[in-house]
Amino acid sequence: MKRLLHVRELSTVAILIAEILFFSWYLWPDASRSHPFLNAENFLLILKYSSIYGIAAVGAAVVIISGGIDLAPGSVIALASVVCAYLFVDAGWALAPSMVCALFVGVGAGLLSSILIVVVKLPPFIATLGVMGITRGLAFIVTEGRYFDVSSKMTGGWRPMGLPADWVAPLVMIALAIVFQVLMTRFQWGRQIFAVGGNETAALFSGVAVGRIKTSVYILSGVLAAVAGVVLALVQGQGKADLATGYELDIIASAVVGGASLSGGRGSVMGAVLGTLIFGVLRNALPQIPGATFYDRLIVGLAVIVIVVMDQLLLKRGE
Amino acid sequence: MPGLEFRDVRKSFGAVNALKGVTFSVHQGEAHALVGENGAGKSTLLKILAGIVHPDSGELFWEDARMTFATPREALERGIGMVYQEMLSFPNLSVSANIFAGRELTRGGRLLRSEMETRTSAILAELHLRINPRAAAESLPAAHRQLLQVARALAFECHILVLDEPTTALTDAEADHLFAVLQRLKAQGVTLLYVSHRLPEVFRLCERVSVLRDGAYVGTYETSAIRTDDVVRAMVGRDLPPRAEHAAPVAGAAAALEVRGLTRAPAFRDVSLAVGAGEIVGLFGLVGSGRSELLETIFGIYRPHGGSVSVGGRPLAIRSPRQAAREGIALVPEERHRQGLFFNLGLRHNLMMPARTIAGDLIVRGAREREEATRLMFEWRIKAAGLTVGPDSLSGGNQQKVVLAKWLATRPRVLMLDEPTKGVDVGAKFEIHEIIRRQAAAGLGCLVVSSDLPEVLALCHRVVVMREGRIQGELSGNGATEESVMHLATSELKDAS
Repeated sequence: MKRLLHVRELSTVAILIAEILFFSWYLWPDASRSHPFLNAENFLLILKYSSIYGIAAVGAAVVIISGGIDLAPGSVIALASVVCAYLFVDAGWALAPSMVCALFVGVGAGLLSSILIVVVKLPPFIATLGVMGITRGLAFIVTEGRYFDVSSKMTGGWRPMGLPADWVAPLVMIALAIVFQVLMTRFQWGRQIFAVGGNETAALFSGVAVGRIKTSVYILSGVLAAVAGVVLALVQGQGKADLATGYELDIIASAVVGGASLSGGRGSVMGAVLGTLIFGVLRNALPQIPGATFYDRLIVGLAVIVIVVMDQLLLKRGE
Repeated sequence: MPGLEFRDVRKSFGAVNALKGVTFSVHQGEAHALVGENGAGKSTLLKILAGIVHPDSGELFWEDARMTFATPREALERGIGMVYQEMLSFPNLSVSANIFAGRELTRGGRLLRSEMETRTSAILAELHLRINPRAAAESLPAAHRQLLQVARALAFECHILVLDEPTTALTDAEADHLFAVLQRLKAQGVTLLYVSHRLPEVFRLCERVSVLRDGAYVGTYETSAIRTDDVVRAMVGRDLPPRAEHAAPVAGAAAALEVRGLTRAPAFRDVSLAVGAGEIVGLFGLVGSGRSELLETIFGIYRPHGGSVSVGGRPLAIRSPRQAAREGIALVPEERHRQGLFFNLGLRHNLMMPARTIAGDLIVRGAREREEATRLMFEWRIKAAGLTVGPDSLSGGNQQKVVLAKWLATRPRVLMLDEPTKGVDVGAKFEIHEIIRRQAAAGLGCLVVSSDLPEVLALCHRVVVMREGRIQGELSGNGATEESVMHLATSELKDAS
């Protein structure tokens, strides 16, 4: 299994590198002008915006490997950002407790999903579709249409542990990706998630506490979406109820592009994070191509299909 | 008068010879029974007749005309109607939609609903069924849904009606109604081919009975000239395998597993049995007798409605397989693909999953697990290309040994096995028997469910027979013969309560 995952992640890395090379060549500027794509500042920008997707994609990958699906991340991101911004700006709390409170939003959303799935036995798609609506609705109720300006309150910029704020989000994403990659491959918890996703009945018959495993993955997905929401509030400097709309599908697409199978039991956290980078580069580079403005969603959609089809062909040939 | 004829019909699935040249004929207008043990080839023969399975060789004739079916539809058009055990119907559709499913009456693509309903009413009246043609099929009781299949066959003007275990889900009164309907159909000249484990029904309905055994035709008998015991002997009558001698289990020691009055209606009621340490107890019964549900309930998959389970003399309230496994109960389930193996994981993970899960480990210790998995592969002679390959690359027998080995790695006190040699080749079967014997000799209590009677007799010290969810009796030592066990499993319940 481990070797197989290795190969899969390498192919995702290969796609990412190929993509970067392509845009570097395509957007090569005339002499004396600086490269609009291939520069450190732009790469930091890509990383910064991708990390919102990437952090949530870690949770999404774990849920998908367990054989489930979570449609709530986009809304949980919005609700967490709004709660964090509201407490910090409007209620006058310090930043740290505001952030912690926002994370509990994620715990709550994940707990609700898992109760609906494990106890009420709703299909994950329906349960999390409901939670998606509830969390988005709560975000609108909290804000009452207002918008919280986080950046204006953080005079002098936010420098946690002396690091520039722009670095924090990518570093959090990379740390989470490494931690959960290890948890999924070297820990009994991760192996049981693969077991549940691969064959839930056999997992039950092997003494795996299937309900507990499922509960843990949805809570994880909720918490990580909330982390992404807090990052969003700080990176974009605002809290608004209609942020991150439709992110859940981009996040799921990233996990799938990174090798996860929607039928469960297959995939990797690292691959999902790399998947968000593939989309991050697309979203960054396409608007810079003259005349491509109206094509970017189309190209992103095609990319999902092409990459997954290629992946399946490779898998078939490997067998 | 020549009716339906099977001439040298052969069919094999991979290495399994399901039918080894079956030749027999059913007279036109008679009620003919087809009996045999589980795996004798009855289902395959019926599927060939229904056009679902294509024979490797051999021919089917109806009134001396050869029949070949590419699809089930063609069989239906030739007038062969099937009534299946598992009630293939569309629960969400109406009664008339069920009856005309696949052959709806239409004009220019538009459904002629009222005409279908009128015809449905006429057919239902013929069967003396008071059912609204517009009622949803799921709102009907089981017996009526079964009769719906008969009605469907009649709507297509079938002259051969094949019934596969039609009474398994029916109460006695409902079965009586079905028989009344079948008698009437027979009087109208419909040929009936009736497959059932319930010999009293066979004797009640049919004039002749044909017996299959191990995919081969044994004989056809007039029911008026034969007794139930003779049919049973024909069904099981093969050479008995040499009976292995066992060391008698230690008397007086606490039972490894003791079950008292365990009930989970409707699957099984009031089941009491004990398995001593070092003892191999067989649990025999026909399909649907509640054996698998019993094992799965002991294992914590289902909650019992009453009764108790104790292991090593200690009563337990088992709520999950996880807890059962921690108390030393292991279950090698019936369906290894669905219940036993992870096809997305390599053999090492498959072999170590239960042991490491119930130990409550945090970290996966790769090196130690590889060592132990290698030892398990060697000890139980599992042939595989390595520890990282998936179970799909293994033969059925080796897959089964993986499931067995992963449970033995948990060092259980009670080993329950549900059809441990289903779909494995003879060599692997022998090896699995050896493993079970060795485990019993080492002090494990083994409870073996099997539909393979010679296997049960060769392997077990005692045989407990279940029928329709109840313990029907127990046989041990020389008292357990194929005839006596089969008789107990097929005869009417001793007390009607």
